[in-house]
Amino acid sequence: MTSHSISDSADMAASRSRADALASFKTGDTIFQWMTYLAAACVLLVLGGIIVSLFFGAWPAISTFGLDFLTTQRWAPNARPQAVLGGLGPIYGTLVTSVIALIIAAPVGLGIAVFLTELCPQWLRRPIGVAVELLAGIPSIIYGIWGFFVLGPWLADTIEPAIANAFEGVPILGALFDGPASNLSIFNASLVLAIMILPFVTAIARDVFSTVPPVLKEAAYGLGCTRWEVVRHVVLPFTRVGVIGGIMLALGRALGETMAVTFVIGNSFRISGSIFAPGTTISAAIASEFAESRDLHQSALILLGLLLFVLTFFVLAAARLMLMRLERKQGA
Amino acid sequence: MNPLYARRRRKSAIAMMLCVGATVFGLTWLVLILATLFWNGLAGFTLDVFTQMTPPPNAQDGGLLNAIVGSLILTGLGIAVGAPIGVLAGTFMAEYGRYSKLTSIIRFINDILLSAPSIIIGLFVYGAVVVPMGGFSGLAGAIALAVIALPVVVRTTEDMLLLVPIQLREAAAALGMPRSYVIKRVTWQAARTGLVTGLLLAVARISGETAPLLFTALSNQFWSVDLLKTMANLPVTINNFINNPDPNWKRLAWSGALIITMAVLALNILARSLSARSQSK
Amino acid sequence: MNDLSITEPATKIAVRNLHFYYGGGKPALKNINLSLGANQVTAFIGPSGCGKSTLLRVLNRMYDLYPNQRAEGEVLLDGENILSPKQDLNLLRARIGMVFQKPTPFPMTIYENIAFCIRLYEKLPKSELDGRVEKALRSAALWDEVKDKLNVSGLSLSGGQQQRLCIARTVAIKPEVILFDEPCSALDPISTAKIEELIDELSESYTIAIVTHNMQQAARVSDMTAFMYLGELIEFNETTKMFTSPAQQRTQDYITGRFG
Repeated sequence: MTSHSISDSADMAASRSRADALASFKTGDTIFQWMTYLAAACVLLVLGGIIVSLFFGAWPAISTFGLDFLTTQRWAPNARPQAVLGGLGPIYGTLVTSVIALIIAAPVGLGIAVFLTELCPQWLRRPIGVAVELLAGIPSIIYGIWGFFVLGPWLADTIEPAIANAFEGVPILGALFDGPASNLSIFNASLVLAIMILPFVTAIARDVFSTVPPVLKEAAYGLGCTRWEVVRHVVLPFTRVGVIGGIMLALGRALGETMAVTFVIGNSFRISGSIFAPGTTISAAIASEFAESRDLHQSALILLGLLLFVLTFFVLAAARLMLMRLERKQGA
Repeated sequence: MNPLYARRRRKSAIAMMLCVGATVFGLTWLVLILATLFWNGLAGFTLDVFTQMTPPPNAQDGGLLNAIVGSLILTGLGIAVGAPIGVLAGTFMAEYGRYSKLTSIIRFINDILLSAPSIIIGLFVYGAVVVPMGGFSGLAGAIALAVIALPVVVRTTEDMLLLVPIQLREAAAALGMPRSYVIKRVTWQAARTGLVTGLLLAVARISGETAPLLFTALSNQFWSVDLLKTMANLPVTINNFINNPDPNWKRLAWSGALIITMAVLALNILARSLSARSQSK
Repeated sequence: MNDLSITEPATKIAVRNLHFYYGGGKPALKNINLSLGANQVTAFIGPSGCGKSTLLRVLNRMYDLYPNQRAEGEVLLDGENILSPKQDLNLLRARIGMVFQKPTPFPMTIYENIAFCIRLYEKLPKSELDGRVEKALRSAALWDEVKDKLNVSGLSLSGGQQQRLCIARTVAIKPEVILFDEPCSALDPISTAKIEELIDELSESYTIAIVTHNMQQAARVSDMTAFMYLGELIEFNETTKMFTSPAQQRTQDYITGRFG
């Protein structure tokens, strides 16, 4: 092997130029790595920025009203000598509209998901799935104006009087559905919200249902179970955590939804026992008053925003943790 | 037939009928909303919508040109800022930080930001940009949209890069390729369609956003492309015009609503067909 | 086959007291000692999980991509310890190429799959680059099949062609050693025969290590064979001896198919 020494020296030269070539990448390589690092840090920075900026903006209101803010219903930005601002009305409205929306959307969404995964013929699955997802893509302001011009008048003319008549005189329920029918009401807002979050519930429930191992379902069908029994005793128990997580994710959406609600809720800070009466939510209050607000009024609106953020943060965090638990179960 | 079994069958049939009913119920809304939109949107639709500025109250003509252009600028700028940061952050999570604890924290936070109320983002940008800059501006609006687009892009980027087989990275590394090259030339390439899908979804998401623009970009009755001033945009224009008794404004608002919805739906469909195509490959 | 009886080949890679861990707990490789001769083909055989692929991934430090994996001991490439933290990994991997079990063409054209790798290290004019690409494809016995479609995606080739494209890509950057990690396990018999032929040709210019669970393949292509079992090197000998008169009972049992 006489060629060895020659090829060795050639190799030496080659490896030196190679080292030079690679060295020229070094800086770019490091810079790129740092860029991704910084970008990732941006995500954390946004969260930190949101908390800090909301907290500073809300501070005047916090120091003026303290905990009373949570229990006061009166909202009088122009009162003399000093504005009286309480967040109870919007907080109540936010919770009530979201809960009603969930009560409507959760069963319907789960039903659609069951239809899509268990019943639907294969060829129809994709079109319906896409249609539901498109429903999720429609901008929320569209839901708002549709609720205002179409759904609201229809509810006020037909549905609301019917329900009110049916429950007239019944204790509690009678009061819940009391009062003159109105285009702008908590009920209308809840319904629009329900339609808005329906696709979210459906999409997540469908994804979660599809994590059920086919063997499990086949085993149940093999025992002679009906479709409903398979859904009820195999699919739902297996996916319970994920379904609840998905519903909470939808709740997070509902709590913070702005434009769809602002149009149809009537922006009244007074709490009424009837869901056919106007009300307001945190996001609707901010959307309709913020641009024209100043000083303490603005700070109180930011405080409402902070409360909303904290609320949705915990709901969404709980939802994500539940969905993560399902994922782990699936992986195990 | 055994009566117990007959009862079980009946019960199942009822439950399944309810599911079909739920589906019909859900789809009815989609049809109703789109029908309303087309009915009202097309009623007053003329080419002027694309060529004329937003009119003063009680005029007979006018269009949405400044609002459309403003929306394009705001959305474009929002994506131009949010997408690169999002792609890089998603790259960190799927590549350099794949096994680190930090990545799971970022993923958790990002998922929360993904569904955080957009009006909160508006408040944040108001406090962080509008107040220090001393007034509403198109720039602030674009930043708000960028903050909303960011988590969408981060999420899809990470998901798509995680789908790239690890062997491809190993093969690239085995050639002595520097890590940044492996990422830029191999993994990004392999996940290209998915990344584009993510961008399209992000554009779709922010182009209909209204709430965060209400107190950042505000709106503008006139033609202006100055980023430091308030800027007209479709969602806020719709918001301002639709509630007005002026029939001309209302007509334009419906036209705007139709334009924006069609644009968003088209983007969604495009994104979906892209990802379907890449999956079938 | 090279004629081994004339000269003892120079040592290209020497593995000394190597232990490897996939995290905590028991080592995946226990005290491995062996040498790969220059321009020889060394085959690694053994039942799955015996550590043969792990050993291969130590040789180009592929394990460095993952956290918690670590190697102890020494791996000397031309006398230099490549396990040293000072070792530049990219430079090392440019010297020690690797071909994987599943073909891994990059999502670009056939031409770019190769040209891209060359351009990493050398700035060449277009004409010279074309020549290098052709040379690489020829040495991987692929040129005649793809010369008319250099601009189509590498992913459009058949499995066997993809694998040869990967070999061409590896050869293109002029490594000194090529590691094959079960390169034929995803291929049909005809493609396998082509690759084996190719390995034989490549051994004239490169030092080759191949992991395989196909004993006939090991017998066909290699000069030296190492039998591994449960993370240990049981026997390391000339292939002909190994398959005719193994020194160890366990080797005998394995190659006669009594276990594994």
